[in-house]
Amino acid sequence: MTSSAVAKRKRRPRDAWVIACYVVIAIFLIWVLVPVVTVAINSFKMPSAIFTSTPQLIFTPTLQNYAKVFGELNFAEYLGNSVVVAVGSTALSLVFGVPFAYALARLPIRGREWWARLILFSRMVPAVALVVPMFVLFDQLHLTGTYASLILAHTSFNLPIVIWLMRSFFEELPPELEEAALVDGAGRFGAFWRVAVPLTTPGMAATAVLCVIFSWNEFLFALVLSNQDTETVPVGVSSFIGSVSIDWGGSSAAAIVAIIPIFILGFAAQRFLVRGLTFGGVKG
Amino acid sequence: MTTTYRSRSSWDRGGRRLGRAMIAVPAVLLAALIFGPLIYSIVLSLYKWQITDINSGKAFTGLSNYVQLFTDPKVLNAVGNTLLYVVGSVGVELVLGFIIASALFDLTKGRRLANSLILLPMIIAPVITALIWRYMLDPQFGLVSQVLALIGINGGVAFFGSSNLALPSLMLVDIWQWTPFVVLILHAGMLGISEEQFEAARIDGAGRLRILRSIVLPGIAPQILLVLLFRTMDTYRIFDTVFVLTRGGPGISTETIGLYTYQTGFSFFNLGYAMALGVFILVTVAIISGFYLRLLRRREVFQ
Repeated sequence: MTSSAVAKRKRRPRDAWVIACYVVIAIFLIWVLVPVVTVAINSFKMPSAIFTSTPQLIFTPTLQNYAKVFGELNFAEYLGNSVVVAVGSTALSLVFGVPFAYALARLPIRGREWWARLILFSRMVPAVALVVPMFVLFDQLHLTGTYASLILAHTSFNLPIVIWLMRSFFEELPPELEEAALVDGAGRFGAFWRVAVPLTTPGMAATAVLCVIFSWNEFLFALVLSNQDTETVPVGVSSFIGSVSIDWGGSSAAAIVAIIPIFILGFAAQRFLVRGLTFGGVKG
Repeated sequence: MTTTYRSRSSWDRGGRRLGRAMIAVPAVLLAALIFGPLIYSIVLSLYKWQITDINSGKAFTGLSNYVQLFTDPKVLNAVGNTLLYVVGSVGVELVLGFIIASALFDLTKGRRLANSLILLPMIIAPVITALIWRYMLDPQFGLVSQVLALIGINGGVAFFGSSNLALPSLMLVDIWQWTPFVVLILHAGMLGISEEQFEAARIDGAGRLRILRSIVLPGIAPQILLVLLFRTMDTYRIFDTVFVLTRGGPGISTETIGLYTYQTGFSFFNLGYAMALGVFILVTVAIISGFYLRLLRRREVFQ
């Protein structure tokens, strides 16, 4: 919080307007939190406590649903697949995206503006326009159903994100540090690898977290390109909902299991979340 | 920033060579993953091609897929549903987001905590969000129905089962998930307005509402544009929640253009037509986002 914000705060009396603001925020928070909390509570309920026509707040908690998720529903496999795909596509996007971002930010390259527009455009490409040709191409390469196809498909949206965000992190570095390294004879690559990269580690970590979240949540590519052995968490969850007699306890527990890692990552990268989601349009 | 390097010619050759190397490999990857498939789908959209004979049976039919596209009543229906969904969701998200961001901006304490809690919905996978709302809106056991029963509306409303309510219910899910995003962006914009402007307005005797209208609203114009760009594009291509919650039903009352493209390719196995639909989505998205990006560039966002 900046000093001006603190000053602003002090000048504001506790009047009816401020109280109204608190009421608005309280109602909004209830609206945001109640659905998640309801599902969290239901994940600890026996079916008899879920299927009631009046809400039951007092019940005997059970871990039966979670046991079912990891037993019968084999959710650990979906989690494993999601981890492989998310880590794979994040790593691939960072390895290729970080040097590209550095070149865009710092190196004398031709057509800088043109490259920037191309990256911006690739963020705008709708997955549904890409998934049909991708399916056909991967099919011809006999790659459909493999982790490789999912990792590559997720790289198609994570790579532009890495390039765009890392470019802004590199641009925010004071250029004097790299210039000093060049004067010391480090060479252009040395200035990148030994100065710029270590100094942008926090930004890189945040970018990685965002890539993992985007990959973890992605559904369409995963739905089309996975097979029984490579289905990710969203595909697994969607198959629970699709069935006629939906298992509320089990799917609630599955939802909570899928949400928890993302909550941890999301709060860790909170400061950069808006920046990532707006493709750097809001620095936050 | 880069000009400091450009002016020193002794470093330039090495820099240019390294720049080319750092650009080349990722560029190949981008071409292979995005631009290659897109060009491929433009070419293939000129063929009649069924998934069932994926390795043979391609027949060049020129623009016939596009002719079909512009005469297909299901495309018209899907575009109509999609536009309704875009306008309804984004409109409500923007208005609600502005009100809540303004309230958040005027809180004297607890802003950080509220900020952290608000971002919850937008990091949840849309599929999980769909599951959560499938549960909330269940006609028999859902919390919403239970609350409605308490105030005397019994019998359970089939939110996703009624052709009148299904699309608004899907919008509700979108509004729940993405209003927080709008709040955070607009709030960030408000924090960027200089204190002097508020001070000057207060000295002039402007009331709270007057300040909101004359200082805050123009001050966050770039953020409003940004919200419109991202929310329009993301709602226009909506797929996940529709697929999970209604599959376009009842009937075709919630069929969106994204879902129809998917079904054309992977349920009706008509790959050529699906690619033509994909190209249609791509072109319309490019037009819409180009329009917003031009406005944003004028305000020095995305330089």
